[in-house]
Amino acid sequence: MTPPLYIALRFLSHRKRAFLLSLAGVVFGVAIFICSQAQTQGFAQQFINSTLGSNGSVVLRARFQPLGTGLLVPPKSSSAKANAMHRRYLEGITNAREIMRVSRQFSNVAACSPVLRGTLSARAGFENATVDLYGIDAPLHVQTTDLTKQLIDGSFDDFRDNATSVIVGSKLAEVLNLVAGDSVQLLSPGGDYWRFTVAAIARSGVGPVDAGRIYCHAKVAQTLLRKPFPASMIIYKLRDPERAPALAKHFEALFQHDTQSWQEREVGNLQLFLTLRMSAAITVSLIILLAGFGIYNVLTMSVLSKVKEIAILRSMGYRRADISAIFLWQGAMIAAVGSLLGCTAGALLTWGVSHIPIRVRGLIVTDHFLVAWDWRHYFWATLLAIIAVFIASYVPARRAAQLPPVSTLRGSSV
Amino acid sequence: MNPEVCLTCEDVERFLGEDESRVHALRGVSLTLEAGTVHSVVGPSGCGKSTLLYILGLLDTPDAGCITIKSEAVLHLPDDQLARKRNELLGFIFQFHFLLEDFSAQENVMIPMRRLGKLPEKEMLDRAAMLLDAVGLESKRTRPSRHLSGGEQQRVAIARALANDPEVILADEPTGNLDTENSYRAFELLQRIVQDGGKALLLVTHNPQIAELCDWVHEMKDGVIVNTHARA
Repeated sequence: MTPPLYIALRFLSHRKRAFLLSLAGVVFGVAIFICSQAQTQGFAQQFINSTLGSNGSVVLRARFQPLGTGLLVPPKSSSAKANAMHRRYLEGITNAREIMRVSRQFSNVAACSPVLRGTLSARAGFENATVDLYGIDAPLHVQTTDLTKQLIDGSFDDFRDNATSVIVGSKLAEVLNLVAGDSVQLLSPGGDYWRFTVAAIARSGVGPVDAGRIYCHAKVAQTLLRKPFPASMIIYKLRDPERAPALAKHFEALFQHDTQSWQEREVGNLQLFLTLRMSAAITVSLIILLAGFGIYNVLTMSVLSKVKEIAILRSMGYRRADISAIFLWQGAMIAAVGSLLGCTAGALLTWGVSHIPIRVRGLIVTDHFLVAWDWRHYFWATLLAIIAVFIASYVPARRAAQLPPVSTLRGSSV
Repeated sequence: MNPEVCLTCEDVERFLGEDESRVHALRGVSLTLEAGTVHSVVGPSGCGKSTLLYILGLLDTPDAGCITIKSEAVLHLPDDQLARKRNELLGFIFQFHFLLEDFSAQENVMIPMRRLGKLPEKEMLDRAAMLLDAVGLESKRTRPSRHLSGGEQQRVAIARALANDPEVILADEPTGNLDTENSYRAFELLQRIVQDGGKALLLVTHNPQIAELCDWVHEMKDGVIVNTHARA
């Protein structure tokens, strides 16, 4: 143990109240930081998981053809929007099987599934609703999405084995008063109603999906929607969803189909969550900053009360750097113990918050507070605390080192 | 054979204060401390005794003059090296003990040893115990220094000054806060240590009886050593 560390420990042990006060500030700041980040990220993560589980990481849609621009030279750094203005889009995907076969060669593609999508009206009893019909290939869709995990009523086997069955979104089922086993009628573009059996009810956790989606078999959807093509989009499940934008860009160039990553698709919601996290982080950082002010005051008072001791130590051969280190060590111990206790308290607080019941039925669906367990929250909280405490300790430590010992030794009388 | 010279100062000048309140505290003071000798500096308050002591102790810097410790000029050294010289070669005893109140007697004695860093913890404890035994505080080693009497605190300060076995001991009125009996006991202790250990002691005192017991007495007046005489 270095002499400054030894003396710092002894000084701290004789100023327990001030030490505990400083410690409490750091513990409180770190714990609140961790808990708030865990919450905001928890809700964001739930949304991301839900949307990936329902809509995939990448969606490949309509084919496009570049429009002739004559003698016009395209700009070197043309944006996606500018590109889109020079395209002609053709509805549907005619060679979905071939695109999927090629797509599967990419290492990041875990699974893909064709979907024929259309909008029509649904009727059950006296209730009507506009629905988003997803014609799916059941075995492939199960591999690509979390549909089987989302079922809250009925069974997927019933759906798979019965061509005239459908899976209905949970909120839509509430609107139409449907449960598994009921029947629902879908209005075809030709004006005639088709009757389907509700095989299951699905809750994805994404509000718009649960409020409007109905899954049926792809071949039935093609007939019902009177489409000449078997798929209007292909959804992809990726091994690393974070790399979706790069893959989407590559697929768009490769297949000449409009392709969108989940980050692009959910940009508005993701920005909302990011803003909330930033807002929470700034608020809680202020708490840590306040704790830093507290430590600054405590250490400044400590320096003032230890002027005589500093002079004595200097007279015994302690260097300015040693004196400075004594007070920096005190700050370091407050930061270390405070961060350790703060991280523990933060984890306990996060666990406690995750058990608070809350009913959310909107952008996401949940019955309790959502939290994310991420080591980075603890890292950043600790780093923030260390920086704040170091800054708070540095000035008093520097002041202590500059104190001239002679004037103190001359003027002191016990 | 000439005795070994531990510390010398030559033509030391020191001004204190600023502008109108500027005082010429030391006016060309020269002094030589040999090993095994006890020197006292006497004189009225404000004559520059303590100023001289702090300059010789490398806690203050003179405006002119030269200081050598063990034949090495030291005033040009940077602050860190001056601190090291203080730690290795000098021992301070102050009038008001200046112990760290929350530390035990033993811990106070160990503070200079910790900075020196030459001994492991066990040996530091043993040496602190030995020094406290030497000043008659063997039974009060672990007692917080604030719970010791004035005389006991001064003895702890003496033990602390000897912790790193310094060449020179500088004492600023070490008996000024003690009763007569304790004053003589403290002085005799210091005198024995100096003579047995071959060290040099410079003592600032107002007590003429104590001063006359020293090997050399330096009388100061208005920043000048006006008279130096050996013990009668």
